Amino acid sequence: MSENQSNHEGGPQGHDSHDHEDHGGFTTYMFVFGGLIVLTIISFWIGNSDLKNQSPVAAWAGMMAVSCGKAMLVILFFMHLKWEANWKYVLTIPAMMMSIFLVVMLVPDVGMRTLRYSEERIIHAAESTLHIDEHGGEHDEDNDHSEDAAH
Amino acid sequence: MTDGDGHQDDHGHGHIHLEYQPALPLNNGKLCMWLFLSTEIMFFAALIGTYIVIRFGAPVWPTPEEMHLSEPVGAFNTFVLICSSVTIVLALEAAKSSQVSRARLYIIITFLLGSLFLGVKAYEYRSKFSHGIYPQLPRSLMYEKPDVYYAAAVHKSLLTAQEELTGKVQALEADEEQEVPAVMQQRLSTVTALTTGLARWTEEEAAFGNTEAIVQLASLVNPVQGKGPQETPLRAEKEAIEVRLKDLEGQQKQLLAEQTALQQKVDDETANEDDATRLETVAAELLIIPEQISLASSRVKALNFLLNPGASSELMGLNERFSKDEETGEKLARPWLILPIMIPGANMWAATYFLMTGFHAIHVLVGLIIFALAIPMTLDRSREVFLENSGLYWHFVDLVWIFLFPLLYLF
Repeated sequence: MSENQSNHEGGPQGHDSHDHEDHGGFTTYMFVFGGLIVLTIISFWIGNSDLKNQSPVAAWAGMMAVSCGKAMLVILFFMHLKWEANWKYVLTIPAMMMSIFLVVMLVPDVGMRTLRYSEERIIHAAESTLHIDEHGGEHDEDNDHSEDAAH
Repeated sequence: MTDGDGHQDDHGHGHIHLEYQPALPLNNGKLCMWLFLSTEIMFFAALIGTYIVIRFGAPVWPTPEEMHLSEPVGAFNTFVLICSSVTIVLALEAAKSSQVSRARLYIIITFLLGSLFLGVKAYEYRSKFSHGIYPQLPRSLMYEKPDVYYAAAVHKSLLTAQEELTGKVQALEADEEQEVPAVMQQRLSTVTALTTGLARWTEEEAAFGNTEAIVQLASLVNPVQGKGPQETPLRAEKEAIEVRLKDLEGQQKQLLAEQTALQQKVDDETANEDDATRLETVAAELLIIPEQISLASSRVKALNFLLNPGASSELMGLNERFSKDEETGEKLARPWLILPIMIPGANMWAATYFLMTGFHAIHVLVGLIIFALAIPMTLDRSREVFLENSGLYWHFVDLVWIFLFPLLYLF
């Protein structure tokens, strides 16, 4: 059972190393590197663009698509999966399904929790800070010092 | 008999050569590494998936600017990790063709790039901590709503600072050989003025129904989106209170005069019932007025402090001022006081941020340990499998960051 001692090329019947010689290579990796840099710049640009204000959902979808693109580049080329046999599907597809299922299954539970908030929870829940900008300069109108009369 | 491929039956002459038939066309190490990586995918999917669900189901979520998250720094970290992915794959290429010294060079570069990533992460974490952003209470100084709990927390923080400084000053004064540094005296007077003029003032205002005062307190401690406090309304308030202070002092004089007159009447036994009741009322009011005067004058002192930024030319939030040297305006290594800040949604933000980036940083550290072990090795063809599997792990770490960067910094 010592076939994974690396004197053999990946196993007595393993043929991975034979194929490795023809795959990858410096030029391919440099192209992938360039692709990754370009995609990072694109996602940075989307994240800082006006699209985020106009349609945040489109911006998020765009950034996720870019991330998936970068992930595919790394997985296919750097992790060599483009040239591996069908076992790659056995490992990656269930993992991907599980990831998506996990998020989807949590949406009706944790994702929509605010729909079932109790009165007390709502009172103590956070609110947006936008109203601070409106009232920040108007506080002096409220300086009604009624303490002298009442108590 | 033949069992499958390659079985040579020796017909009993001693040496039977059995050939192992792997179920998959890859070596054990690679298979195990991929199995491990699929569990890691599930691990990070759990963390990232719950972040997504928590964030988009939250009533409010802070922006990266509010949480002092710098996108360029995150982009730089992404670039560093991408470069290290390239160098590890080039190290593998070099090892395959037994270019041992080249492979070692690439591994060293990968190790250095990974350490650079961790260093930048540490810098980012430190900048969070210095703003009071911790993953958990009680160290976390973030409150979610501008309510009485927040105002009380600010008040308590200032009182604690006041007690500490008073203790230190008194200890130095008792010791005849040492002098109290001017900076310490200044800080003590600042904190004293703020405790009454800012915290207590706000609590009193809120108690009488002016909850906007707490909102103002929050924006004075930690201005929204980096804008300093606005000068005009503060000056207007200061003038209004100075007028009120004069009124109060005038009132006090009047009441004292009235009290003396009434007291005289009582002593002379020319007082009637109305005078007696009036005397009681005047006495009661005279009890309250000094308190109001001191509160108002503390407010003026606090406003003066806010309006005079010292070495800086622009008004800054209080926490920012406490992080800078009073005379030179340079940033201190640690702020001498951090007041609680009010950022809606911040605690959940901090919890998810630190959890995800923390676990990712641990994985980067493990990768660096593996590379540190690889550096003294002779990385020729015989080590190809080890290097390939280390590379797989490192690419996975890069993959996780590829998803974390937009989710945390850009969304």
